[in-house]
Amino acid sequence: MLPLLKFLFRRFMWMILTVWIVYTIAFFLSRAVEGDPFAGERAMSAEVKRYKMERYGYDKPLVSQYARSLWLMTTQLDLHESRKLNEIPVTQLIAEGFPVSASLGIFALVFALALGTVAGVISAVYRYSFLDFSFMTAATLGIAVPNFVLASIAIMLFVFWIPIFPAGGWGTLRQLVLPALCLGAPFAAYIARLTRTGMMEVLNQDYIRTAYAKGLGDRRVVLRHALRGAILPVVSYLGPATAGILTGSLVLERIFFIPGMGSHFIEAALQRDFPVALGMVMVYTMLLFVANAIVDLSYVVIDPRVRLE
Amino acid sequence: MPPAIRQIFPYLALVLLGVGVAWAMSFGTLPPADFTFANGDEVKTLDPGIATGSPEHRILDALFEGLLRLHPVEVPGGAEKNLYENVPLKLLPGVADLPEVTNDGQTYTFHFLPDRKWSNGRAVTAPDFVFSWQRLLHPENAGEYAYQLHYVVGGKKYNLEQLEIGDPVEVELYDRPVPSQMYPRGTMIRGKLAGIWKPEKPTFAKDTPAAEQESQLAQWKKSFVYTVQAETKDVGERKYAPLTGTFRYSKDPSAAVAGGFDDGQIVQCHHVLADFDKVVGIRALDDNTLQVELNSATPYFDQLTAFFSLYPVCRECVEKYGTPEWTRTGHLIGNGAYTLKKHRVRDRIRLEKSATYWNREHVPLEVVDALALKSDTTALNMYLTGQVDWIITVPNTVVQQLREDRTDFYTTPMLTTYFYRVNVNKPPLNDVRIRRALNAAINKALICDEVLKAGQIPARSYVPPGIAGYHSELTGDQDLEEARKLLAEAGYPNGKGMPKVEILFNTNEDHRVIAEVIQQQWRKLGINCELRNLEWGSFLDALSNQKYMVSRSAWTGDYADPNTFLDMFVTDGPNNQTGWSNAEYDRLIEAAKHVSAEERLKLLSQAERILMDELPILPIYFYVTKNMVNPRVKGFRSNIQDLHPLDLLSVEPPNAPTESTTAR
Repeated sequence: MLPLLKFLFRRFMWMILTVWIVYTIAFFLSRAVEGDPFAGERAMSAEVKRYKMERYGYDKPLVSQYARSLWLMTTQLDLHESRKLNEIPVTQLIAEGFPVSASLGIFALVFALALGTVAGVISAVYRYSFLDFSFMTAATLGIAVPNFVLASIAIMLFVFWIPIFPAGGWGTLRQLVLPALCLGAPFAAYIARLTRTGMMEVLNQDYIRTAYAKGLGDRRVVLRHALRGAILPVVSYLGPATAGILTGSLVLERIFFIPGMGSHFIEAALQRDFPVALGMVMVYTMLLFVANAIVDLSYVVIDPRVRLE
Repeated sequence: MPPAIRQIFPYLALVLLGVGVAWAMSFGTLPPADFTFANGDEVKTLDPGIATGSPEHRILDALFEGLLRLHPVEVPGGAEKNLYENVPLKLLPGVADLPEVTNDGQTYTFHFLPDRKWSNGRAVTAPDFVFSWQRLLHPENAGEYAYQLHYVVGGKKYNLEQLEIGDPVEVELYDRPVPSQMYPRGTMIRGKLAGIWKPEKPTFAKDTPAAEQESQLAQWKKSFVYTVQAETKDVGERKYAPLTGTFRYSKDPSAAVAGGFDDGQIVQCHHVLADFDKVVGIRALDDNTLQVELNSATPYFDQLTAFFSLYPVCRECVEKYGTPEWTRTGHLIGNGAYTLKKHRVRDRIRLEKSATYWNREHVPLEVVDALALKSDTTALNMYLTGQVDWIITVPNTVVQQLREDRTDFYTTPMLTTYFYRVNVNKPPLNDVRIRRALNAAINKALICDEVLKAGQIPARSYVPPGIAGYHSELTGDQDLEEARKLLAEAGYPNGKGMPKVEILFNTNEDHRVIAEVIQQQWRKLGINCELRNLEWGSFLDALSNQKYMVSRSAWTGDYADPNTFLDMFVTDGPNNQTGWSNAEYDRLIEAAKHVSAEERLKLLSQAERILMDELPILPIYFYVTKNMVNPRVKGFRSNIQDLHPLDLLSVEPPNAPTESTTAR
């Protein structure tokens, strides 16, 4: 148990350090952008602008703004309020947007895993067959085509041509299907290729031959013995895949009108809503750390050769 | 790792995944609304005193009601006349009846109508408007639309903190319950301003950034010390107790002392402003009568009272929750036809018919959803599949197809002009002949017909057509010969030797295409022209600092009057941004404020003549609306300001036989 705790503690400290560095860089970068955060098409009088600057503390020197915001963040988990959205607290935006993005991500990931591994295993078992060829062609296409292009095609097919799914919005399961499929598709493709390669390698190993020699059936050998070894590259890919699914949803949330974190992040960046952008950057950083830590942990469970060091 | 754990791990992982999926599926679903529309963007605020944009405008019109209402009125002739053409807008009584106006046009008296209530059941009164308008004008509120009350006597003085010795002033002491909240206010002392002590004004090196200078000057102003001969102290709403003595007030006493002030005790205060009750011409004569006194006859003032910035806000609500908390769901108290039921950021605002609205029997829609739909394409998809009943714009790429194929796509002229600002201080653009040549070289009809395709109108004037009684003055039409001649006269025959011209626009595909077309047309004259695009924030920065040569711009009239367009180009007007200045133009705009309504439009017309001769701006086209409305929605009427109050709309039940819309 001790190595596990040590591992978690070390990872946690690294995460804190990284979040702090990311925050610092993002803070100063965002302020280095030229242009005034309150600019609008209609000119604002100097008085009005002064009161706005004072209200948000922008009149103070940059370093003291940084110190104050870091203090509030660490002591009170206060990420400030949005400057552009009626001063809604950033924590509230995250609380509203995260479950939405997370649901979308979970569905996309489950879909990618299910489709990817099944296709990969079939391809490897029936290698160089027509089925293998078509799966791998589809996978290559899936990796090459960006998800927003896929989304347009999916909308044309399943919203207009065969009207079975709604064009956008959030709240029902039917509204979730298309975006989750589009989000998961490139990852499904990648997982399929990883599984196939892994399976091909494992199926040639001695212990598989031993298993066959013992008289085990195809199904048992493939699913129990081969898959376990072949799935390792897929597991280690899950870390980056989580990252990809999180950031990939930025565009899809816009296309399918989904009020997730991605929409908040894009808009905040475009509108210079510094606190929101900073908050989102930090959430993404932490999510990636956690995802990677979980992947590393599961590695230990799956592969007896790996130890927590 | 014990083997047991390793054994159960795959199952455990599956279970976890299952739990995750189950959680992801546990949505709360809202019952469908009667009517759903795409509101273009997330609202930035629901506070009438702060809001500026059109998504906010549509929601505020539903949640609040002004002294008057501006409504599109139905004209006989069915869809042909009401949807494919603009109907007139008419001012109707709102909280108050149509005002009594004195002969000089400077005093408006509004008599409140019965049964006007807040959603908490309290009657809407004249003091509510005094409170709301004072709040709008208060400098600390920092409302960008406060200038709409600069027409009122003393409004500008109060808003811009202008003070002179001898002025009646109000001092708000630094004893508010919550210092960062304007309401409830601190102790108010009223009296006469006897003197202002200022520390030495900071001086700047030439290369000090503007922002740095601004912040230092702001700090300097905070350390002013105001000497006030006190007369009264507020003991309740507009009730005063006598108070005598001379006091010294400063927003930042320690800075004042550090700056060298040594003339007695300083009391800290939030503000020293002109005494609102004495200086500003907004008065509640009784609970049901509001009198407004204007600087000069302002024929469009009644229209302004129907605009959202002058809507009333509920005092007890603002004081209880503070700003912006009072605008949240569950807190907000309005006086409009709808109440705020739900607000999910970047998803939707759900409005529900108000049970206290005076005209509730004539509000057909019970529940309305406003979607914060930013992508035009997604909005169109959702409209075409019946998820949304009204979309406010469509992607440009499909405009032509929609115009040919659909009978539910309505484009009518709007009160918005697309134009290029020209920086008249940048040679060679300081030469009016060059500006005229540039204008004469642009084929505006080509831009409207081949690029925009929604029936936009080529612009030869700055003020859009459609304002009753106003005659727009025009620039010349496209004329390449004339352009070449002008260019030669200016010393650049066939563009030889002319410095290159740069067109600046904010990053957007439509702006780029238009700029490219104009670039080509200018190249025909031999002018070397380049394009530069900037992201919105940097673009605005470049514009306000006049770091550009030619820049894409647009302006929408907030009210149907040429003044909203023309007064921005007076010398050093904050929205001028071209560096252009013309004494005769300034004189005409000023003179127009002091003459009869008819004469006024003539003077404004003359001013536009100067603008169109001097061309600090090159008008390009007038916008059109691009509404798509489900044919089962009734009561939708196209109009020049694209106003569509929700209380006018109704929806036919889906099963009822729908009357087919007439094809064009």
